[in-house]
Amino acid sequence: MAGVRLKNVTKRWGSFVGVDNQSLEIKDREFLVLLGPSGCGKTTTMRMIAGLEEPTEGEIWIGDRMVNDDLPKDRNVAMVFQNYGLYPHMTVFENIAYPLRVRRAAKAEITPRVQAAAAKVELAEFLSRRPRELSGGQRQRVALARAIVRTPLVFLMDEPLSNLDAKLRVSMRAELKHLSHELQITTIYVTHDQIEAMTLADRVGVMEHGRIQQLGTPDQIYNDPENIFVAGFIGSPAMNLLQGNISNGGFVTGGGRPIADASLPDQNAAVMGIRPEDISVTAADDGTTQATVYATENTGESVVVTAQLGQQRLTCKGDRYLKVAINDRIGLSINSEHTYFFDAETGKRIRRG
Amino acid sequence: MTGTRIRIVWQSLQTVIILAAAAVMLVPIIWIFLAAFKTHVDVYQLKLVFRPTLENFSTVFAQPYDLGQKLFNSTIVAAATVAIAIPVATGAAYAFSRFELRGATAMLVLILATQFVPAVVIVLPFFVMFRDIGLLDTRVGLVLVNLAIVMPFAVWMIKGFIDGIPVDTEEAAMVDGSSRLQVIRNIVLPMAAPGLITSGIFCFIIAWNEFLFALILTNKDAVTLPIGLALFKAEEGDLWNLLSAAGIIIMVPMFVLALVIRRHFVQGMTMGAVR
Ligand SMILES: Nc1ncnc2c1ncn2[C@@H]1O[C@H](COP(=O)(O)OP(=O)(O)OP(=O)(O)O)[C@@H](O)[C@H]1O
Ligand SMILES: [Mg+2]
Repeated sequence: MAGVRLKNVTKRWGSFVGVDNQSLEIKDREFLVLLGPSGCGKTTTMRMIAGLEEPTEGEIWIGDRMVNDDLPKDRNVAMVFQNYGLYPHMTVFENIAYPLRVRRAAKAEITPRVQAAAAKVELAEFLSRRPRELSGGQRQRVALARAIVRTPLVFLMDEPLSNLDAKLRVSMRAELKHLSHELQITTIYVTHDQIEAMTLADRVGVMEHGRIQQLGTPDQIYNDPENIFVAGFIGSPAMNLLQGNISNGGFVTGGGRPIADASLPDQNAAVMGIRPEDISVTAADDGTTQATVYATENTGESVVVTAQLGQQRLTCKGDRYLKVAINDRIGLSINSEHTYFFDAETGKRIRRG
Repeated sequence: MTGTRIRIVWQSLQTVIILAAAAVMLVPIIWIFLAAFKTHVDVYQLKLVFRPTLENFSTVFAQPYDLGQKLFNSTIVAAATVAIAIPVATGAAYAFSRFELRGATAMLVLILATQFVPAVVIVLPFFVMFRDIGLLDTRVGLVLVNLAIVMPFAVWMIKGFIDGIPVDTEEAAMVDGSSRLQVIRNIVLPMAAPGLITSGIFCFIIAWNEFLFALILTNKDAVTLPIGLALFKAEEGDLWNLLSAAGIIIMVPMFVLALVIRRHFVQGMTMGAVR
């Protein structure tokens, strides 16, 4: 059992910065998810912890040991690779048993442990097959079983569900959640699937440009974003971000009358964030502001309306019985309790009082 | 109706063309096969029916030809070449494939460039050198020469096979607790095995058939089979029946190895490693 600490870790290739002066503390037994757009440095962070990539600067600690100079084999971490990294010339059994064999576990111990790990990921009947005789989802589970067959200090999982179909992904997600609860091992989990992040994590780190923008519980990340990037990245459909200014305790956009309350000091360049589910579509004469329908999308469970408001567009989520057509005049009722305001220049959140 | 007929005609035509092409290529070999079992008298006649004899084979192994010694030399030289070339080339290929070596590209090109020098140009320097250090007419000398010939080829070929092994697989093994040497032994070698066997057989064939260097650098003790063939020139002309028998002795191991290669050229050894 051990926590993981990164102290001012930087990874550069030439002048390109992959991970930028990152400090991070992951508590013992915590399930931390790194979330972020492609190329933001998630895999790089993970590979540095595993010892597959050397940090340009900074220290990496696992438990109370500085591991910068340790080989991967001496760090006692288990990793699920983005593309599995199975051993094609070995059977599923041998694949799962490899970490035990190479660490010279007692022979009598190997078989029961492999069988237990395989059973956890429902692979028991495939033990004599080779990886090429398995489906993608089954291969994925071999990679997982190979990680959980021993008790490492830390689990590193790099988008372990990214190759599965939607249905398998949901069931494996539940399986993972159950496993992490059962095994109680510090886990760092990389994904760019938000739902995975929200459902699995104790804490989520939202990354951009090699740096964690906000670290917090899924609830904090979703409901209390620190800056424009986090606000716009989390949630689907994404949060609306409107350019405008704050004057006389209201948010004004396009020079008209205020569309929402903002009990904040006046500010010239501000951005208001509002989630689509916090705007309701009303009849043209009702609501806090008026707009035209630009597009509608029926997702089955709801109708997503994109409204044109002056020069800007807004998405709002209406219930599934909502019937509007393109170019209709509609009213929008913005719930001022769920608005977020940001400084347009720094991107930082402007908080009330 | 007509469509089917055209297809049948076309397919028959294809078969005929293929058979004709095969016949053209096989005729010399068939001729050699027949000649090897003919008597000296029959050899110049294109008879397909004759009384076969094994006499040619016993003659070539007897004095003065003594093909047995040449067979032994060829076998030792080719086998030793392979036994040294493949492990050394594998080490070099792994380093080229996996490590960031300074000037790796230049080195690889240089290794290949050695193959562009015509053998005739360097055979004399080799002769002088070998004479001075006493390697003339020795099997050790021939092994060294053959190593120089096959190594570039082996390094490039094996590098290709190692490049085909996903790095993720090796990294997974390292995180799972292997040292670099364990990775090579447990992961890289088994996965590259078909490639290593194929390269080994190619090297064997090259060394087995090597003619020019063996011709210049040996004269008695270390003479190999291809050179041995030249013995069958007599004053009355080429002894085609003996030449053919010796030719068969050279070819048969190649046939066997070709069959083995085919079996090992299995594809998809790395399939299933990564998505
Ligand atoms: N060996 C390398 N040399 C140079 N640049 C690299 C190298 N490896 C990664 N990078 C760069 O570092 C950045 C971060 O890469 P990384 O693989 O960590 O992204 P990621 O967050 O895992 O993305 P994804 O979600 O697409 O997997 C990328 O811009 C990538 O191009
Ligand atoms: Mg990645």
